[in-house]
Amino acid sequence: MPLAFLIPVFSFAACPLIILFQRWLPLRGAPLAILAIGGGFVVWALTAVSFLGASAEHPACEVSGITGALTCHFSTSWFEAGLPGVSATVDQAIHLDWGIIIDPLTVVLLGLVTFVALGVQLYSLEYMKGDPRFGWYFAWQALFVAAMLTLALADNFLLLYIAWELVGLCSYLLIGFWFENPGPREAAKKAFVVTRIGDVGLLVGILLLWVNVGSFSMTDAFAAAASGELGSGVTTAAAILLLLGAMGKSAQFPFHVWLPDAMEGPTPVSALIHAATMVIAGVYLVARAYPIFAASPEAMMIVAIVGLITALGAATIALVSTDLKRILAYSTVSHLGLMMLSLGAFGWTAAVFHLMAHGFAKALLFLGAGSVMHGVGAHGDVDIRRVGGLRRAMPVTAVVFSIGALSLGGIPILSGFWSKDEILIAVEHNLPVIFIVLTMLTAFLSALYMARAMFVVFFGPEGEDSHHAHESPVLMTGVMSVLAVLAIGFGWIAFNWPGAFDGIGGFVFYDHAEKFHFNYVLGALSIILAVGAFVLAWLVYVRRAISHEPWRARFASILRVVEGRYYVDEAYQWSIDRVVLTVSAALAFFDRAVVNDVAVNGPADVVRKAGVALRLHVTGHVYTYALAVALGVIGLAIFWWLRSV
Amino acid sequence: MPIDYTANLHLLTPEFVLTALAFLVFTVDLFLPESRKEWLAGLSVVSLVAVMVIAILMRPSGSVELYGGLIVVDSFGLFFKIFFLAIGVGIIALSVEYGRDRFEYRGEFYGLLLFSILGMNLMAMSRELLTAYIALELLSFSLYVMVAYGLREARSNEAGIKYIIIGALSSAIMLYGLSNIYAALGTTFFAGIAEELASPGTVSPVLWVGVALLVVGLGFKLSAVPFHMWAPDAYEGAPLPVTAYLAIGSKAAAFALTLRLFAEAIVPAVDRWDEWQLVIAVLAAITMLVGNLVALAQRNLKRLMAYSSIGHVGYALAGIAVLGSDFALAAKSVVFYLVVYAVTNLVVFAGVTAYYNRTGQDNIADLAGLADRQPFVAAAIAIGLFSLAGLPIFAGFTAKFYLFAAVADGGFLWLAGVAIFASLISLYYYLQVLRQMYIERPPNPDHAGDGHELAEDHGEDHGHGDHEEPPVAPMPRPSLLLTATMSAGLLVVVWLGVYPAPLLGLIDAASAAIVPLG
Repeated sequence: MPLAFLIPVFSFAACPLIILFQRWLPLRGAPLAILAIGGGFVVWALTAVSFLGASAEHPACEVSGITGALTCHFSTSWFEAGLPGVSATVDQAIHLDWGIIIDPLTVVLLGLVTFVALGVQLYSLEYMKGDPRFGWYFAWQALFVAAMLTLALADNFLLLYIAWELVGLCSYLLIGFWFENPGPREAAKKAFVVTRIGDVGLLVGILLLWVNVGSFSMTDAFAAAASGELGSGVTTAAAILLLLGAMGKSAQFPFHVWLPDAMEGPTPVSALIHAATMVIAGVYLVARAYPIFAASPEAMMIVAIVGLITALGAATIALVSTDLKRILAYSTVSHLGLMMLSLGAFGWTAAVFHLMAHGFAKALLFLGAGSVMHGVGAHGDVDIRRVGGLRRAMPVTAVVFSIGALSLGGIPILSGFWSKDEILIAVEHNLPVIFIVLTMLTAFLSALYMARAMFVVFFGPEGEDSHHAHESPVLMTGVMSVLAVLAIGFGWIAFNWPGAFDGIGGFVFYDHAEKFHFNYVLGALSIILAVGAFVLAWLVYVRRAISHEPWRARFASILRVVEGRYYVDEAYQWSIDRVVLTVSAALAFFDRAVVNDVAVNGPADVVRKAGVALRLHVTGHVYTYALAVALGVIGLAIFWWLRSV
Repeated sequence: MPIDYTANLHLLTPEFVLTALAFLVFTVDLFLPESRKEWLAGLSVVSLVAVMVIAILMRPSGSVELYGGLIVVDSFGLFFKIFFLAIGVGIIALSVEYGRDRFEYRGEFYGLLLFSILGMNLMAMSRELLTAYIALELLSFSLYVMVAYGLREARSNEAGIKYIIIGALSSAIMLYGLSNIYAALGTTFFAGIAEELASPGTVSPVLWVGVALLVVGLGFKLSAVPFHMWAPDAYEGAPLPVTAYLAIGSKAAAFALTLRLFAEAIVPAVDRWDEWQLVIAVLAAITMLVGNLVALAQRNLKRLMAYSSIGHVGYALAGIAVLGSDFALAAKSVVFYLVVYAVTNLVVFAGVTAYYNRTGQDNIADLAGLADRQPFVAAAIAIGLFSLAGLPIFAGFTAKFYLFAAVADGGFLWLAGVAIFASLISLYYYLQVLRQMYIERPPNPDHAGDGHELAEDHGEDHGHGDHEEPPVAPMPRPSLLLTATMSAGLLVVVWLGVYPAPLLGLIDAASAAIVPLG
């Protein structure tokens, strides 16, 4: 278990090695990245096995009094600052560790990240073949994964923040990987800037906790929050600030705008961002810092509301989008919203469970979309109205994509059904009735847009772009097939398997172990909605038995707003143009005229002139030097003597 | 009680072995043909590593005195010994190619280097003024010769002459100081001095003069202002590896001696130290200001590094000035600073040497366009300079952070302020070097005129970045050894910048050996 720190270290090491030596390495060093993440996966597996076998007797482990779960810490001193004497003025000494935390949450998250990343990188071997910056791609992939793994392992907020920012940086590098084109460039910039806004909140939140708790340690902060020592105001403020960071990274309304644009990056990168890194960082942060949220009912309510708005809004946009990757992107936003909602509804286990189930399905769907693009030779957008009936040309892709869509749509016995069901139970149980109604609606929409994407692309009439389509190479379909198996069967770990496994609720839980439960009313309702949505989509898009045109006409005005994505982007653009740029122009003038010309250049000139003048004292003559020494002696002796008398 | 001069003599084995190996290098040199002289570099490195191993294996537990207390073998001395030996390895790595192309009698160079390291080791172990003085002279004499090693270069000869004259002067001053101290106190043992100083009552002016003269002597070795003027000339004239050695090795050794002297002889006399520490603080302030300010006006890289090193001595002296308040913290910060300073400078000098070996140029302006010609060399120099300027994530930041924090903690907030201001100035001249390497274009003889560029200029002033700039003549690749030195140094610089705890732990243990009693 202590060796778990190696999981990110492998990939961290791979990144500079690839950058430096890609010219001499086979395949530009790509195997190195894959070996690194593969090694990480193996170490994760060993860690998971030893963690499952561990008990509170292990010297590094204990059953946490807050989460009730077995939690292990391994740390070694990193640095200390803030010194004994200074402590009078600075309240606390900073003692920082390289520390990792291993608890059920970390274990499942690391599994998801290493597994999906491994798959994505293998897939990329084919997908990125022939790219001029093949080596760089894998270097950034390795760094991205390493940062995400560190984020999941960190047991203090500062380390988490470093990893958090590294994740942001890597997403920038990878979304903008094809920076020759304006689209990726803009998308990368947008992703970076938007998430940065949230990051500031996170940073302030961390500092707020540090000031009030006196350390960056998560354990200390959680203990202080749970015991009420922090005070409710600080707890709520800290929770909201942390939530800001999470909203930025997890693309929650109103910070969701970057994620749909992020598909400008290579499609495997989207798969990674949407399934295993980046966006789940936010959900992870809330799940990790749950003791702080749980101590503040207001913060919990905000989490739930943000989640609900995001889930519902994004689902409606997904329904009317025509670009395959954009549909998937809004679907991710919507499902992240569901996870947040679940967290806000005390459905901690359900959120983490859905995170996993969604991760596998979404990785599968994005890789499927990439396979479609590869097959039809599209670059950039895949308009679902122009491709269609691909099931003949791309049978494997069609099957696995459909599995992903059915799973995410919540069709029973597939993974997505079970995890979504848990969320519904939590929402119904803990939140006002309006929440469960809207959540049901979201679930229905979610099934509908997935069905639409799946039927139109693979089963509808053949589209104009799909004549020359061909199936993708074995490496790509192979990776997708493995993910498809998980999209089908992963959800079954929810059950209680007598004698073997208590179900996910008995392993990943907050506060108390949860049994598998199934609410028959809710379950039946959600089955009816999901199946109904698929049948409806089948009737509309395959059988053409129902036309959606009259509906479009009747709700034209609403449709326009939804298709305009609620004009959030436009609102941002307007406020940037009118407000931000005006203020910054004024500041820029002040900066140039006052700060630069007077306050900086003035003293700088004085310093430079002093340097030039002082230079002359070294004359090059030895006797000057000797004189200086002699004067120095006399000066020292006199000074010394004066001080002592 | 008669002193048993042979007790514990085996603990000096590393020094005896080093001496023997130095003689061996001289002897082998006599029989080696000119083409095989590189072997001596290898032999010297092997000797240094062997001595390191011996020193570690034979370390006693706790402090053990020899020769009736003249010399002590303790963890402080051991740490510095390893440090000096490692510096020696680095300097040899810098010298191999340089020596092959530019030295006559290069075999003797390595022998001299070993002797100077012997002197440094003894400086870190001395507990008595005369012993320390002799060790210092062993180092100085080797250095006098090494500075003048460019036999046919006027610059080198001039540097050697100036260095030896001012060196002799400062030796005389220091000896005079020693005799004054002996006259006033009747002892030259550090512990004895501390005891005498601590006794209440007024102290005779003879002692003031004595201590002042002693500090001047050390100030000369440290090149603290105003005893620094030899440094720029010596640095500029000396062969590059020797410049590096002056900047790294001789500074580190002088600080090792200073630390032990202050810790064991002066700081324990608390009342006196309170009177005196301001003197050191003022010296430190002047040193960092003058060093960094004058560096602004330099055009020669070696001179720049000379002034930069004077500035860094100022920072470390500031650490010495607060030894009295929280000794463990101050000593740890100073030692850590020295290590970081040594490693970083080694990287910079390796880069500069790599450049000089290929081009024979050492002015700042000559570096123009280096980033395009030899990206790795440029990057190494750049990272080294960033670290010297104290930017995170490099070691220089961590070191300055600890040191300045210790200074502020010791009650000298103004001195920490001066240090930060001086660092700010230093960033300017370090960036000047970077500007040459990364922004300036090298003078291009093929570039006939800009007539065709004017013809292409269509009205609006946009996109001059679109013009294809003429390709830069590539520089031949630096030698493998220098590349390896730079790489290793860079790794250490980043490592210490990100994760200093392990080294700080070692330093804690080392400086615990010289903690003043009480």
